[in-house]
Amino acid sequence: MKQIPCPHCGNRAQAEFVYERSADSVVPLDAEPAVAIAALFSRANLRGTEEELWRHAHGCGMWLLIRRDRVSHHIEWVKPIGPEALP
Amino acid sequence: MTEVSIVELGRGALHQLELWGDPAPTATRIAKALGHALPPAGRAEGDVLRLSPTSWLVSGDMATLAKALGDGGSLTPVGGGLVQIRLSGPGWRSLLMEGSLFDAESADFAADCVATVLIDHVTVTLRVESEASCLAYVPASLADDLLRFWQISAGGLPL
Amino acid sequence: MNAPLINFTFDGRALTAKPGQTLAAALLDQGIRLVGRSFKYHRPRGILSAGIEEPNALVTVGSGGREEPNTRATDLYVYEGLNARSQNRWPSLSSDVGGVLSLVSKALPAGFYYKTFFGPPKLWLFYEQFIRRAAGLGPAPTKADPDHYAQRAAFCDVLVVGSGPAGLIAARDAVRAGKKVFLVEQDAELAPSLLRDPAEIEGKPGRTWAGEIATAVRTSGGRVLTRTSASGLWDDQFVCLSEKLIEPGQIPANGFSQRYWHVRAGEVVLATGAIERPLTFANNDLPGVMLSQAVRTYVTRFGVLPGKRVVVATTNDDGYLTARALMAAGAEVVVLDSRPAPAGHSSGVEVHNLAAPVMARGGKRGVKALVATVDGAERSFACDLVAMSGGFTPVVHLHMQAGGKLDWDQAAQAFVPGETRQNVRTVGLAAEPQPAETVGAAGNPKAAFVDFQNDVTVSDLDLAWREGYRSVEHLKRYTTLGMATDQGKTGNMAALDRIARREGITIPEAGLTTFRPPFTPVSMGALAGLATGEHAQPTRHPALYDLHAARNPIWLNAGYWKRPRAYPQGAETLAQAGLREARTVRTAVGMCDVSTLAKFEVQGPDAVQFLERVCQTTVGKLALGRGRYTFMAREDGLVFDDGTVWRLGDQRYLLTSSTGGASRMATWLSYVRGHLCADLKVSVTCVQEHYAAIAVAGPKSAQVMAALTRSEAPRHMSVVESTIAGAPVLLMAASFSGERAFEVHFDASQAEAVWQAIEAEVLATGGTLYGIEAMELLRIEKGHLVVGPDIDGRLTAEELGLGRMVNKAGGWIGQSCLSRPDFADKQRKQLIGLEAIDGKAIPEGSMLVRFVGAEAEGHVTASGLRVLEGGSIALAHLKGGQARHGEEIYAHSPTRRQTVKVRVTSPHFYDPAGERYRD
Repeated sequence: MKQIPCPHCGNRAQAEFVYERSADSVVPLDAEPAVAIAALFSRANLRGTEEELWRHAHGCGMWLLIRRDRVSHHIEWVKPIGPEALP
Repeated sequence: MTEVSIVELGRGALHQLELWGDPAPTATRIAKALGHALPPAGRAEGDVLRLSPTSWLVSGDMATLAKALGDGGSLTPVGGGLVQIRLSGPGWRSLLMEGSLFDAESADFAADCVATVLIDHVTVTLRVESEASCLAYVPASLADDLLRFWQISAGGLPL
Repeated sequence: MNAPLINFTFDGRALTAKPGQTLAAALLDQGIRLVGRSFKYHRPRGILSAGIEEPNALVTVGSGGREEPNTRATDLYVYEGLNARSQNRWPSLSSDVGGVLSLVSKALPAGFYYKTFFGPPKLWLFYEQFIRRAAGLGPAPTKADPDHYAQRAAFCDVLVVGSGPAGLIAARDAVRAGKKVFLVEQDAELAPSLLRDPAEIEGKPGRTWAGEIATAVRTSGGRVLTRTSASGLWDDQFVCLSEKLIEPGQIPANGFSQRYWHVRAGEVVLATGAIERPLTFANNDLPGVMLSQAVRTYVTRFGVLPGKRVVVATTNDDGYLTARALMAAGAEVVVLDSRPAPAGHSSGVEVHNLAAPVMARGGKRGVKALVATVDGAERSFACDLVAMSGGFTPVVHLHMQAGGKLDWDQAAQAFVPGETRQNVRTVGLAAEPQPAETVGAAGNPKAAFVDFQNDVTVSDLDLAWREGYRSVEHLKRYTTLGMATDQGKTGNMAALDRIARREGITIPEAGLTTFRPPFTPVSMGALAGLATGEHAQPTRHPALYDLHAARNPIWLNAGYWKRPRAYPQGAETLAQAGLREARTVRTAVGMCDVSTLAKFEVQGPDAVQFLERVCQTTVGKLALGRGRYTFMAREDGLVFDDGTVWRLGDQRYLLTSSTGGASRMATWLSYVRGHLCADLKVSVTCVQEHYAAIAVAGPKSAQVMAALTRSEAPRHMSVVESTIAGAPVLLMAASFSGERAFEVHFDASQAEAVWQAIEAEVLATGGTLYGIEAMELLRIEKGHLVVGPDIDGRLTAEELGLGRMVNKAGGWIGQSCLSRPDFADKQRKQLIGLEAIDGKAIPEGSMLVRFVGAEAEGHVTASGLRVLEGGSIALAHLKGGQARHGEEIYAHSPTRRQTVKVRVTSPHFYDPAGERYRD
């Protein structure tokens, strides 16, 4: 079980987090159909390091952008996602 | 056996405070009204407890807060959905290590620290009241289950 | 040393043990050598080892729910009243009928199962019956385990696995550096190797030295855990420990039998030692053929002499320590050393160099002689015990689970830990095993065992090799090598050696199989923790739970929720009660708990903008105090949930959605808000549990609400604030039944007062409580959809018949993808109604076909009946269904063997014009 550094809560066990989707599967609002369809149905799904959306579901609930090596599970960085927030 | 007492306090009058847009000016107004700043991540102060980057759990008088909040955010009643359980006695930290993956035994988890954690499959918000006790905010529907879990677990705590 | 003896039984025989003895030690002490029968061939087996690696001496202990099969006699400390039984024998251990199999072992060679699978199926069925009875371990217990298993988190700077000298030194150094240390030992005693080989360390008796370090660990805030196995290691130094609080089968004093630790460590030090390898020769599995270090353990630690005439067969210097310990205990010893003379520790012992065992002679009473080649000539040595040492295999399991690599140590003929991805290091004999030679297998390959527990012989390996199984991973699966409960701890290296020799390659070239957790077997109970029985998953009790319980409903487990399905009266069945409740709603009034609905308060200047992204219907036009039905699509354009949206204030809305989709909706809203709309001034607050909610439905519902609130009930799809029983409530006029109806939402802390007030009024008006069963009948007849079966995330709004309500201005999530050409296909499935032509019930989930045997064109999503008139109806998904109204097809359920002729209709069977919503 990995330890994930939540920008809001600090180091927490992976069990508190949920992997939601790869970052390249995000469909921007009002995306052109071709863009939306490509994001949803024809992603590269590369072996190696990718950006992913996670959520601290059983903690602060925050969405996180995580850059992770899908082979070694090594996390390069974690960034918060969401509205402007106080420290 | 390590001593811990588990007391269900029931539901309370609680509100969730959320800020939108640029939170700074609103936070300044609120700090003035409350007499202290909105607590930062992982902390509580007085009647206010930080839940997430954009939200706080608040008890006590809402009128002052609502006035200071203005249109900088919302204040929503949520108390019907949370049951409060107080764990006290020298064993409360030890009990919080059961069925959990959070370090409640750390000295850093001191008075007025707040953490939302997973215990026995339930997402629980903890507030350290003092070295002697910790208050848990538990989703009301799961409170019976978690109480049972804590009562059984308390009987098997290691020294 | 006059501690009282401990009473126990083995196969019903009353025996005694000295305090601190394992079952294996106690049995050997009593001269009992035959302890079990082997897995496949029922060969007589004794005790091979003195530790967790034991493949042979497996017993069943305890009784009732505490019965535990396959417990290693070498890893079980005798307690008063222990009741141990041997396994895999009938009618008794010494006269086992299955033992004849050992005479016909050709019956079950390597790959037997696979080959049989390819044969005629009837042959397999014949073999299976025979094999199931013959091959096996102890039977699984059938009763519920009455004990608790704790699961506990722990955090430390340094976790040391293994309390031998190397582990203790690592622990001591860490404590000196100010670290919080966890020291874990699978044995009951710290530093068990010092019990086997007493030594002075740093000027102190080893045991004293060990005790002082343990004390230092404890007093510096750390923990010392004995009887605890580090069963697995995961990412970021996360180690699971399985701690036995009592021995298997014992009754716990405080209810807890084991504790499973989840430890996060800054650094892990593996001082896991090495496991001695057997030598491979014919009949090396006879009782009385034991590992050399194990023999020394029994002699020195447990005070047991397992034999009087002993042959020590070794490939390394360690065997001489055993020889000396045996001689000191009064045994007659001969050493056979595979290496040329001279060796280090030979003084005073009869040593034969260039000597290796070929075959043991003996029977179920044990070994009688060992035949060996000595410098090329065969010689027989009479003996009653063989102590063998084929070198040492470092315990690298946790190192490998940490993503480690292995290096080959030529001098020790062993794999040793190399690099690792994690902060994990290995010390002591696990990193630097003693030098040893490798001696190949000798004697009859059909009787030379490599994997004792799974009965894999040298001949099985050779057969697999001849049949082309060259990769160790394939070989393992084909022969079942290393796949028993001991995971090949003693046998894998001998097998690799054999394969490497056949293939003409080196052992490191042959490679290894994967080391998966657990290191030693872990009780299922330890993995479950307290999540057993009713508590196996969290049970969510709605705020009104106790009120329902007092009315004895039939419960429905709806996801994690406990919800009333019906409130039967007298001897009513579920169906009867459900129908009565539904009819009362149609003719008078009923009330139902709908608290579990998902509810979100959406507030802020940009609330409308947010909601028009999420909802496929218009929200902007909603007047203050009004609400409407709505539904939500995913980014792919398919509808995944539905609900209602209410405008409670100028910038304040309440969004409700389905119970089952509640957490998915919460996630979705936080995604849209947090990621896609981060710049909007809006807050989305989950109030699912804050508000309890009661639906009041039926032609008399407006009358009930008026009486309760002392004001006129709001018109359909309007919301007002009011009070009931002194509690503030939100009163929404909304219907899920087809009748004029209301939802009353209120702070769950007021649950009891509000429920009782509404219940009194409903009953006084001739009404009823109703549960999910009646709710289903009512909504199916009206053609209201449910998320899950009807709205299953595979149809568009158009296909669900909701196209009329879609916000034509667009902007909602999912719009882009609706331009996919596939969606233009009018032969996609669409939601329709069905009515049974002959009145028979339409089986839920059945497929829709033009005739029995034809291709399925859809399925029944919900089955019900006309509440007042009778007659079976259903909702269904059917290809091109919206254009097929009137067509007659079949609902066919092969699993239930039911076929019902149905007519395709509109899904709205009841009051399609919605006239009943008006007062």
